[in-house]
Amino acid sequence: MRPPRKLRQARERDVDVVVIGGGVNGTGVARDAAMRGLRVALFERNDLAFGASGNSSGMIHGGVRYLRTDPEVTQTSCRDSGHIQAIAPHLLFRIPFLLPFPSRKSWLFPLVDAYFEAYDRYQPLKRGKPHTRLTPDELRELEPGIVGDLCGGISFDEWGIDGARLCTANAVDARERGAKLFVGVTVERVERGPDGEVEAVRYRDRHDGRVGRLTTASVVNATGAWAPITASLGDVAPTAARVRPGKGIHVVFDRRLTNYAVMSETIDGRSIFIEPWQNMSVIGTTDDDYYGDLDDVVANSEEVRYLVEGLAKVFPAIRQGRIIGTTAGVRPTLYEYGKLEDELSREHAIVDHAEHGADGMYSMLGGKLASFRLFAQEMVDVLARRFDLSRTCTTHLTALPGGDEEVDAFRLSGELDIDAIAARRLVYRHGSRAWRIGEQMKRDPRQRRTVCVCEPVLEAEVRYVIEHEMARSVSAVSRRTRLGLGACGGMRCVARCGTLLAEQRGMSPLAGMRDAMQFMTRQARTRVCGLGPQQARQEALCIAQLRSQIGIVAKPSLAAVPERLPVDGDSETEVTTMSPAREAGAPQDGGQGD
Amino acid sequence: MTERIVFVVGAGAAGLAAAWAAARHGATVRLVDSGSGVSALVGGAADHRPWEEIARAVALRGQTPLAGELPAGVADFAADLDLWSLPLAEEPLLRLATEAGRLRTARGADSALLDWTQIPAGGRVILPRAIRSEWDAGSLARSLREDTYVRSRGLKLEVVDAKLFKLQGEERIAPADLALRHDEPQRLAWLEMRLGQLVAEAGASDAILLGPWLGVRSPVASVLSKNLGLVVGEVLSGVGGAAGLRFEFARERMLAKLGIELQLACVEAVEPVEDGYALSIEGRQPPEIADAVVLAIGGVAAGGVVYCAPETRAGRDAPDRGSRAFKLSLDAPVDLRAHGKRLDVTSSIHGPRMDDCAWPIDADPGLLEAVGVDCDPTGRVLPGLYAAGDAVGDAPRTVLEAVASGIRAAAAACLTEID
Repeated sequence: MRPPRKLRQARERDVDVVVIGGGVNGTGVARDAAMRGLRVALFERNDLAFGASGNSSGMIHGGVRYLRTDPEVTQTSCRDSGHIQAIAPHLLFRIPFLLPFPSRKSWLFPLVDAYFEAYDRYQPLKRGKPHTRLTPDELRELEPGIVGDLCGGISFDEWGIDGARLCTANAVDARERGAKLFVGVTVERVERGPDGEVEAVRYRDRHDGRVGRLTTASVVNATGAWAPITASLGDVAPTAARVRPGKGIHVVFDRRLTNYAVMSETIDGRSIFIEPWQNMSVIGTTDDDYYGDLDDVVANSEEVRYLVEGLAKVFPAIRQGRIIGTTAGVRPTLYEYGKLEDELSREHAIVDHAEHGADGMYSMLGGKLASFRLFAQEMVDVLARRFDLSRTCTTHLTALPGGDEEVDAFRLSGELDIDAIAARRLVYRHGSRAWRIGEQMKRDPRQRRTVCVCEPVLEAEVRYVIEHEMARSVSAVSRRTRLGLGACGGMRCVARCGTLLAEQRGMSPLAGMRDAMQFMTRQARTRVCGLGPQQARQEALCIAQLRSQIGIVAKPSLAAVPERLPVDGDSETEVTTMSPAREAGAPQDGGQGD
Repeated sequence: MTERIVFVVGAGAAGLAAAWAAARHGATVRLVDSGSGVSALVGGAADHRPWEEIARAVALRGQTPLAGELPAGVADFAADLDLWSLPLAEEPLLRLATEAGRLRTARGADSALLDWTQIPAGGRVILPRAIRSEWDAGSLARSLREDTYVRSRGLKLEVVDAKLFKLQGEERIAPADLALRHDEPQRLAWLEMRLGQLVAEAGASDAILLGPWLGVRSPVASVLSKNLGLVVGEVLSGVGGAAGLRFEFARERMLAKLGIELQLACVEAVEPVEDGYALSIEGRQPPEIADAVVLAIGGVAAGGVVYCAPETRAGRDAPDRGSRAFKLSLDAPVDLRAHGKRLDVTSSIHGPRMDDCAWPIDADPGLLEAVGVDCDPTGRVLPGLYAAGDAVGDAPRTVLEAVASGIRAAAAACLTEID
């Protein structure tokens, strides 16, 4: 079949569409567009799921919160939550919620009950259970840690997901369907033709500095909170792709501290929650206007305390929990002036920048994790019209990588002779593709070695995500596998992960170690803002271990420097070998070397 | 004059050195310990100055310093402990390979560790492959081959396949457990046989580098080295390696010789009384009385200094009062300091802001490393009350500095009259 005329014209370009942004929207668009036969290139400046997608609450919830203001959002969220369950069943886990209700507000209880009854109508869309009304005793029986003068409670049903895995699955699928993925590569300029139409993008690899140019017939700006910056790269006014960036943080505790997710209210009356999430507990979330650097968003101790104090109101034992980390991301909420953060709409919108003179350029603004697929579908529908493409979206019918069949973790564990928990985690993250990682272990039994003990993560998986899932740094491996995010803070595994990274990618071992130390330094910043006594002790031990093993260095460089060494014990000779960095004339940084 | 009673709290490197020195000064020594600290956890290297500092100096001056003098008594203590090899002042520093793949200098080291200066120039080092989580011979060799020292001395690293674990499941047990198994003579003979075959197959070699598996009670590494006619030794491992356990056994031997009993107990409070100090011990009455006390309870990593976050007071709406960010794990009339400043009450009821100050920045240690007891250079806080080792604020967190401070504190504790 001949491609449609408009598409044939576009085929003079390298690709039909350049997607900028490797979050859930960008990877979702890349997948959908590739499935409909478009030639796609995706650019991600940092790493897949680096921003809001990888730092969300880890839920594809139905948006019960939005029922009052945006019932549309609730309905589409619920429907799409159902679709995600169908295409990636391995990534989902049920999170039942409890909403304790204080006696002082008892007159409101029937209203809230009715509210959840309205929500129940949407639950079948996502295989959720209807809400139940609980007495105070029932509530305390389900969750003995709950305190306070309560008149009852409500239970309702949501689903948890690993946002980073979701992005990775979309990206891998897009690539397998022919899309070109550039991870760690930033677009520096969107070039426009004589009539203002999009012509090409210029890009630079942030790891090795290589630059390039790719011609394209259209550009999709799916960069979330970075959207105004990205628009400006194509000389479109940043205000044309304006969002209201809202920083949200989560506090991560060691272990599952509750059976259910529990809702609470902060001192200023905002709804927050604690949720058991995989092998940890997570409290979230804050929502504050953010004006800082988007590449370096971290939680601070004030935000951590705000959340802990808010949750302690109904679940005081949280004060004794052990904080092992925090996450922080910036929501790209639709722009509005003069509203409080929580009141902002979670709707999404597509801006066609033809109206700003940039034909072929589009910005995706707003949205939420649960409705990413629908948002991507709407975006690719626009592209399909542009290229006269008749193929319709099938992303809700086609399984994501690993989502095609169920895998028995015990069988995997038995067949590969690996720890059952490690096998279970592998199946969670990779679904049926866990067998591919298994094949690696069969070929090379040494890859059964545990790298990260806390999670646990095996060597085979580390190698797999570097080779097949575009992980280019230790932090990217961590994002894909949760390596180094446990209680030990990466003390045992980062150096090892660094050397594996170096080996897989043909880097020097020192470069791998340097990358590992960068990861450690950054991770430490996300932990120290929530330190408690136990974790403080662990941090001190971790520092001692790193000092002994690698050396905590002044600057993130371990470049070798020449040293006069005694040879044969008597004569001193100048050693002239230097690292490539030195040969290239990189400045000496007083770092360490031997 | 009756014998002075010196009470040493903590039996890591600093506490043990203090007990040893106090016994030499003729004091009656009481030694209590309440669990594994850093000496028993992080192990293998016996540094005096932090090795990173030496590496920085090397980077500036381009020359590696010699081992250098040690503070008074340290060498004698080490000789009695019989655990570390310590080069003389005019000898070169040791070189150790770390599990992470670096070759670093050290003032001294657990004798089971492979000292790379012992390998002749141009020598051949064998790294056997094994499936253990702490051991990846391939990538270790790759990293070490890039090291300047290895290259300058023309050392050749070779990775070979080997079966070094006799029993099934041994690839998964803790390294210290595996090391313990090699204390059995039969098991050691088996390992020697395996390594002998390995060398026979691999051809003439000068050294074998292994993981932290070489015995705990007995000098397995030196036996193997002697019998095989080449240098056999361990890599410098981290937490959970065998070196910590070896320290504990060496301590047991030393205390037996000195006739000091190590009591496992938790000291809750040290209080000045008329003729010395009263120590309240958990579950015991009445308090014990001592003429002098040495606090060798470790820093934050060991649990001697505790970070007190206000959040952890469960069930309360707000802390009772403003607090200091750190305290000792026992009640004692001491102040804490970090970075040369005495720690004050934090000006937030919700505790200090740890965001930027907890982790080390550049060459400066972070708060977690620096915090400790505010004392004079001998470790004296009050007449008769001393701090030693990592419990001392701003002291370098190294083993030999801990030993030196233990010896200093004990000497002062035995000589000072209490007013």
